[in-house]
Amino acid sequence: MFLRGIFAAILVMAGIGTAQAWPVGSPSGHYADPGITDTEITIGLFGPQSGPLRNFGFDAIGAAQMWYDMVNRSGGIWGRKIRLVIEDDKCDPTAANAVVRKLVTVDKVFLLNGGSCTAAIVATQEYITREKVPTMMLNAAGDNGVFPPTRYMFGAFGGTQLTVGGTIADFVARQLKAKKIAYLGSDDDFGAANLAAAKFMAHKHGAELVAVERVPRNIVDVTAPILRIRQANPDAVMITTYPQPATLAMQKISEFQMKMPIIAAVQAVPNPAALVKAVNNPAAFTNFYYGSPLNDLTDGPRQQWVLKMYKTAFPDRKPTAFMAYGLPSAQAITYALLLAGPTPTRESFVEAMSHLHFETGVMAGPIEFDEHKRDGHNASIFIKFDGTQSTRMPGVYVNEYRGNK
Amino acid sequence: MGAVAQAVASGVVTGTIYALVALSLVILYKSTDVINFAGGDVVMAACYIAFITVVVAGAPYWLAAIVAVLGLFVIGAGFDRLVLARIARGKADNLMVAMVIATIGLSYVLKGAVRLLPHTEDVQTLPPAFTGPPIFLGNVILLRQDVGIVVITVAVMALLYLFYRYTRLGKGLRATAEDPRAAVLIGIPVQRMRMLIWAIACALGAIAGLLIAPKILMTPDMGDIVILAFAAAVIGGFTNIPGAIVGGLALGIIENLVGFFISTEAIAVAPFIVIMLVLAIRPQGLFGGAPVFKKL
Repeated sequence: MFLRGIFAAILVMAGIGTAQAWPVGSPSGHYADPGITDTEITIGLFGPQSGPLRNFGFDAIGAAQMWYDMVNRSGGIWGRKIRLVIEDDKCDPTAANAVVRKLVTVDKVFLLNGGSCTAAIVATQEYITREKVPTMMLNAAGDNGVFPPTRYMFGAFGGTQLTVGGTIADFVARQLKAKKIAYLGSDDDFGAANLAAAKFMAHKHGAELVAVERVPRNIVDVTAPILRIRQANPDAVMITTYPQPATLAMQKISEFQMKMPIIAAVQAVPNPAALVKAVNNPAAFTNFYYGSPLNDLTDGPRQQWVLKMYKTAFPDRKPTAFMAYGLPSAQAITYALLLAGPTPTRESFVEAMSHLHFETGVMAGPIEFDEHKRDGHNASIFIKFDGTQSTRMPGVYVNEYRGNK
Repeated sequence: MGAVAQAVASGVVTGTIYALVALSLVILYKSTDVINFAGGDVVMAACYIAFITVVVAGAPYWLAAIVAVLGLFVIGAGFDRLVLARIARGKADNLMVAMVIATIGLSYVLKGAVRLLPHTEDVQTLPPAFTGPPIFLGNVILLRQDVGIVVITVAVMALLYLFYRYTRLGKGLRATAEDPRAAVLIGIPVQRMRMLIWAIACALGAIAGLLIAPKILMTPDMGDIVILAFAAAVIGGFTNIPGAIVGGLALGIIENLVGFFISTEAIAVAPFIVIMLVLAIRPQGLFGGAPVFKKL
């Protein structure tokens, strides 16, 4: 009963349904596309279930799974139960391509819901577009999959790297009132994207990036970039690297006794407790913040319904930080199936997805798509973390930069 | 000026680590002609053995260090005995290629095995062996851990020098490296010497890992540092032990100065530009002797 209540409340929030059970349709018995019958609709759900990047997707898949299970328990969509075929792509582009081809040609799924790593999901884009299979990324940032937008691929349910960079600059300039911002990011596509958005949003608020340092993900000594940042004398330092350079930077900043606020992107701090241990200096966290695409702390009051749902679905498991990231794409799929009517086709489903706008109850901002927009989420909250205590900062921060893509 | 001195000082610390890893590659290559592509993963494996010993088993740091160094000593010896010695006895067309491929295999085995361990999904660190307030030399800030890294590395290098120069075993190893056939004729057990050199090289890698883990952090991919060790070895001369040390130091300092004066984006390419320059101007490395051509 609890889950149905939550589900109904979200439907009302989404402005899609009413606080009643899912509608029962009048199946036609004839369908233009594979993966759909009068009683069932088949979805290919995939992400890393093994390998070194398992943590990115394992629990996100679990979250999507629990959402679909709840929909099935509530009667399904237009009378159809959702059947999942779950596959492991290991976050590897080659494996992802093989998995997607298998799901489409052997399992004959109606649509795909998967991808926790950008490189892996983007590698499937050509095939997906050619076969016209609607694909909703699971929790990959997916910048290159949604910019430029293509018809069949929807993603960035947690936000792209434009969102990451833009929202940090928005927070630093508006909340922390910084005018001179130093940037430390990666020397890859991720870094290029979040830097462009950070520059735009800083400029919009009358601030500027006074130092821009981009480093490789396997750098072993960050002395040079931190010295350059120190020389620029910034009001705040934003870090959008991967965890290892971020940790080294935190160590070095405290070693050089720099006191300005440090604001890290979510990818720099996948596990705050692990960061504290790795930095090994509590003083480094006296003025530290990190961003999150969720609407609250992972154990905050607004996330409790998800945690409760997870505990019911997987009583023996402990949720990872990425768990809740798996929900929005599953929500979007079920809502779009609802909007597509009792006899959906892949094309009518894509049309429904293209007009979707709803609050997830779990992410910082709404999920919004339109004809020319395939990145769903564009907001972050910020958390002050002193090494032991996490406190949510007021406000939700958005990125307004859409790039030249 | 203070910032430049800081960049150089940090470069020296990082460079000594490159030098130690490079040393483990060079002593192997000198004695066996095999380039060890698993050198970085040996470093990584040692870090995780120590980490598991400290964090999971709750052992003191010194015991974890001994376990890690001994563990890699045994792995190195075992790899030579179980894999390389068999390849050497086989009839492969090109033994050296087969052996180098075997080291790539070892690299994957070590990385795969470590990923089976708990705690490998997050960035981890070993507690630094040397703690306390930083040391100020004018404007230059040095952590005690950094000073410890340099001191231990220099001490290990000195011990290695004394071992090679003055012990019977060390002389046997040198003889094996110089001319294996002549070594056999004067009764040196060359096969056993090769096993020992693998064990020593892996133990050196383990010491490097223990020193750098608190500094560069631990992930199963940290073995990538071997690329920089190769760069250090090429710069110094792949068959020259002092050259590997100077190459490592030079690389650490060059990286920081390039990053500071030119761009941090140039840090990643700086070592490879230096390698190309060295190979173009002096292919045998800065300290290598005249090029040696072997009859195949």
